[in-house]
Amino acid sequence: MKIVVCIKQVPATGADKRYTADLRLDRTGVEAIINPLDEYAIEQALRLADAGTADSVTYLCMGPDQASEALRRALAMGGDDAVLITDAALAGADEWTTAKVLAAALDKLAPDVALMGMASDDARGSLVPGAVAAMRDVPLLSYGSELALADGEARVRRLSATGFDWIAAPLPVVATVTDQVGEPRYASLKGIMAAKRKPLETWSLGDLELSADDLHGAALTTVTDTRAPEEKPPTERIENVPAPEAAAKIADWLEQRKLI
Amino acid sequence: MSNDILFLAEFSAGKPARSAIELATGAADLAAQSGGSAVALAYGSGAASGGAALGAHGAARAVVLGDEDRPAITYAPAAVAAARDAGLAVLAPATPNGRDLAAALVGSLDLPAFGPVRAARVVDGVLESEQATLQGSVITTARPADGAPTPSVVLVLANTFTPAEGGSGTAEVAQAPDAGESALSRATVAESHEADAKVVNLEEATVIVAGGRGVGGEEGFAPLRELAEALGGAVGASRAAADAGWIPYQLQIGQTGKVVKPSLYVGAGISGAIQHRVGMQTAEHVIAINRDPDAPIGEFADLFVVGDLFEIVPALTEEIRRRKATSGG
Ligand SMILES: Cc1cc2nc3c(=O)[nH]c(=O)nc-3n(C[C@H](O)[C@H](O)[C@H](O)COP(=O)(O)OP(=O)(O)OC[C@H]3O[C@@H](n4cnc5c(N)ncnc54)[C@H](O)[C@@H]3O)c2cc1C
Ligand SMILES: Cc1cc2nc3c(=O)[nH]c(=O)nc-3n(C[C@H](O)[C@H](O)[C@H](O)COP(=O)(O)OP(=O)(O)OC[C@H]3O[C@@H](n4cnc5c(N)ncnc54)[C@H](O)[C@@H]3O)c2cc1C
Repeated sequence: MKIVVCIKQVPATGADKRYTADLRLDRTGVEAIINPLDEYAIEQALRLADAGTADSVTYLCMGPDQASEALRRALAMGGDDAVLITDAALAGADEWTTAKVLAAALDKLAPDVALMGMASDDARGSLVPGAVAAMRDVPLLSYGSELALADGEARVRRLSATGFDWIAAPLPVVATVTDQVGEPRYASLKGIMAAKRKPLETWSLGDLELSADDLHGAALTTVTDTRAPEEKPPTERIENVPAPEAAAKIADWLEQRKLI
Repeated sequence: MSNDILFLAEFSAGKPARSAIELATGAADLAAQSGGSAVALAYGSGAASGGAALGAHGAARAVVLGDEDRPAITYAPAAVAAARDAGLAVLAPATPNGRDLAAALVGSLDLPAFGPVRAARVVDGVLESEQATLQGSVITTARPADGAPTPSVVLVLANTFTPAEGGSGTAEVAQAPDAGESALSRATVAESHEADAKVVNLEEATVIVAGGRGVGGEEGFAPLRELAEALGGAVGASRAAADAGWIPYQLQIGQTGKVVKPSLYVGAGISGAIQHRVGMQTAEHVIAINRDPDAPIGEFADLFVVGDLFEIVPALTEEIRRRKATSGG
């Protein structure tokens, strides 16, 4: 059983982020990390490898050159090898483009399971996994708090409105997991050393037999404007008063806004 | 190509989800701007019998993708057939099911994707939308690239459109074109486990009282529940509280929980971590109750009450009950 984990490199959560003059994310001088939700996908894949269910774990990332750091960090957690897809023609890639490129790479890698995070930390579209599944014409098993593999079938445990379901589909599949799969492991010093020797290939669009024309430039969407969010009025504070008085003040505040 | 605005409408037991009603209203508003009609892509149990009622909220037509209780993604082939070359945009709720079906449209028909958006309008015959990105620090406006295929696929956050009520229209109901099967329709429910207690859908709540680690345990939620009841709302939680097993995960708010947009959010014993904030920052009014005067939630709440939640929450419940009783309401 072969698993490919798709990981995205994103700016560190809470880092000071800006857009450039040409309305792209300015990545200079911002610390980059593995999308935190993709660490859970890595953890899920490595647990299946630890259990002997998965024979190999490969990481796949589309991003700029520096994204190879994210792949090295993933390899330090475990797994076998990695592929970085990078190409000048991909700058400004949107969700459709990302899905198109990942789908082409997955066609080449042909895993039983393409495992992804439930969303990226920065754009938060959660559309890439389903789009990849549709492009490759394989089932989508999404939002799993656990992924199980057996007898040519994959299953995810997914929250339902009141409880949970196990959703099943025949392999190969695209699956996504949530932060409920268990805390991602840390890379050990030994892991970090070992990662340096694990294979990391770099592919360009040419290696996927795709061209910038196939990708409609790099995007089907265009950002026309960026601005700061509306200024909120300053926070009102109630402090250093006994609880009944605080309660009366909160109730007044609610009444003024017709909330009670 | 028409100028219609399509929207995904999920049904359960014949009733449309609140998202379906909101999107009907939004689609009708956008269709008025584009010169087309609002068309529902209705799926789930009772979609066929319930579809017509979406007319009261602005839908001109309802195309029924299927009428069973099965994983939403299995409706993808029908959704793809119904959306092919059909109109300016497809609005989808920014819920797990809505995202899965939207993604299937993007991948199957090679369509531009937007969102989750918090506003949309038609400008020069093109759908333009606004999205909060980079954890809410920047608002971007986006539109399809020149020559991009239609329809655009647009994820819409809850409460972006205020449901139009009191209408009397009836949507014309039609079956989706026969789409057959695809790999996406091959997912099945292998096992189903129901919880003992009924869990509310936070995405539909207009008032939420949320508790975090500061609530201290399962029992600590009792005063929050009473406050929620007095305010006519529901109880939610941070991941810390859900991870501790004090409350079901269905009630977790945040990046990996529900994204909520109530008119009032009260957070008690919640510090306001960025991952929690992205799930509630679009609430209209935010009250935070925290004993730490420097808690991060104090930086973005509208009203920050510094104090012990176990004193303030019961006092507030009592005060609200008293005022409601005296006003006769
Ligand atoms: C040169 C270059 C520059 C880029 N610049 C930007 C930029 O400025 N801003 C930006 O947001 N993105 C950038 N990208 C990445 C790409 O555009 C985004 O990954 C894409 O838009 C995904 O959308 P999302 O974040 O909504 O994904 P989601 O659908 O939310 O992601 C869900 C899951 O899909 C998988 N996934 C998503 N993207 C990738 C990826 N790139 N590689 C591997 N797996 C992935 C992950 O498992 C992730 O958890 C760039 C890429 C390249 C090659
Ligand atoms: C990938 C990822 C995804 C995540 N997704 C989510 C998510 O979806 N939702 C989410 O909520 N979190 C999420 N988190 C976790 C998040 O980072 C925080 O750890 C979490 O929100 C903290 O919960 P909390 O505010 O309840 O607890 P804490 O941060 O511990 O805060 C407890 C607060 O209670 C106050 N307090 C204690 N006792 C009292 C009292 N008696 N009266 C008043 N105040 C009191 C304290 O002053 C403190 O501010 C995610 C994290 C990661 C890495």
